[in-house]
Amino acid sequence: MAAGLLSPSILAIVLLLAFPLILLGRYSLNPFVPGEFATEGVTLENFTRFFSDPYYRDVLFRTIGISIVSTICCLLLGIAPAYYIARVRSARLKSILIICVVLPLLMGNAVRVAGWMVLLGDRGVINAFLTFTGLTSAPVELLYTGKAVLIGIISVNLPFMIITLQSVIENIARPLEEAALGLGASPLRAFYRVVLPLMMPGVIAGTVLCFILAMNSYATPLLIGGPKFQMMAPAVYEQITRASNWPFGAALAFVLMFTTLVLTVLSAWLLGRYDPQSGGKRT
Amino acid sequence: MKAHISSWSYRALVFGTMLFVVTPLITVIWVSFFSNKLISLPPQGYSFTWYLNAWRLDDFRGGFLLSLKVAVVATFIGLVIAVPASLALVRGRFPGKSFISTLLLSPMMIPGVVAGSAVYIYYIQFELLTNVQLAATFPGLVAAHVVLTIPWVVRLVTASLVGANESIEEAALNLGAHPWRVFWRITLPSVRPGLIAGGLFSFIMSFTDLEKSIFLIGPGSTTLPIAIINYLEWNLDPTVAAVAAVQIFLIGFMLIISDPYIKLSRAF
Repeated sequence: MAAGLLSPSILAIVLLLAFPLILLGRYSLNPFVPGEFATEGVTLENFTRFFSDPYYRDVLFRTIGISIVSTICCLLLGIAPAYYIARVRSARLKSILIICVVLPLLMGNAVRVAGWMVLLGDRGVINAFLTFTGLTSAPVELLYTGKAVLIGIISVNLPFMIITLQSVIENIARPLEEAALGLGASPLRAFYRVVLPLMMPGVIAGTVLCFILAMNSYATPLLIGGPKFQMMAPAVYEQITRASNWPFGAALAFVLMFTTLVLTVLSAWLLGRYDPQSGGKRT
Repeated sequence: MKAHISSWSYRALVFGTMLFVVTPLITVIWVSFFSNKLISLPPQGYSFTWYLNAWRLDDFRGGFLLSLKVAVVATFIGLVIAVPASLALVRGRFPGKSFISTLLLSPMMIPGVVAGSAVYIYYIQFELLTNVQLAATFPGLVAAHVVLTIPWVVRLVTASLVGANESIEEAALNLGAHPWRVFWRITLPSVRPGLIAGGLFSFIMSFTDLEKSIFLIGPGSTTLPIAIINYLEWNLDPTVAAVAAVQIFLIGFMLIISDPYIKLSRAF
């Protein structure tokens, strides 16, 4: 009976996700002949081209750098709101705050990027304000910089961090903190010594999630970064659809997936080793 | 005194961060009501002109309708195939259960651009072999979106099934009810929150999907998020703000009406 209930879903995922990924992997080993879809063969030339071309190496390092910095910012910015939402006494304020976090998170990347374009664009709100107040006469270029992309990615990923941390803090028993406070610890110390160690699983989950999302962000670098600020996901799209170089595009996709996986495992391992209780590394 | 200052700076940090998260959405809604053709401050006045203007543009009207159709059909298929799967995962006893559960949740972990390019190449290869076109067709797009919906239905429906009481179903069966009747009258109503949440999230994930769909749409028929991105590459005005605002209102409305049934913060 279980087989009958499960098979449609399993079939859908095998046929429409597993097989395509296997095919993509196979394509990354094909040689590229312009004008032809599939030239069978086994070669590593797509990968060697990637790692020997300084342009693509830069794109990868830039993607990794932006992802690490944005994830750290999300973690630092996310803790306070997450803690506040988990502990606020007014149920009404709590559900308003949760909607404020969940709504942007569910809005999809197109609309959120549209929001930042409306704010930061040459003809956007911030420039309109600067011109109106007479602070500048010509529009200031706020888009197409690394900082703008970083701000965009942080704002897109931050809600994921807040909601992940919040749901973990919610399950930490309040009397534990109250005991620490009652015994004379300052609120900050009680948080650092009692809550933080207990919320480490949430910190790991949130960090991993934000990092994966940042590594794969597409719309933010495409529109806010523009042609000057290339990242991996738009490069995959470019190779597959515009340049029609499927083998190289497939190799890019696999480098992106593999790098994300390795760095995700590494960061989860590092965070798992870190133990705030002893104030540093576990021995 | 010191505690006072730190409690104020804590609150400032909390609400400052929250403001940072919601500012883009609030700005979009505000700008969409400007009466001027370009964004300038202070606005000359407020109007609904740009909503009408957006509806008149084929890309936006067509995009909205296509996204709506794809999301409704994909959510329906997703629920029909993934609700039984969730039932089997929670109630069934068979080997390899955790592997199957991981498999069904896996579409969440695969980045959209990677999954999209894989499906695109797969569809073209399929077309070369069978002469059946899937890329740039409605069924092809829906099929790819069904995969997006499965993990959300499985995750949210299994979560509410775990809490449901199995003995009520057994009692009904013992009293002679047909298994279908038990499923329809007892199992389904007891997982209603999971069904609503699963359907809601499936719809939203499909409606707002960008990274996967960019590979699968055809010329002249784009989904709404892609229409927004394409427009933004060359224009920035209250019209595109109005389009984005429509999506914000739609999803916000859905969240508010489903809020009593589901626990939003637990869905992730």
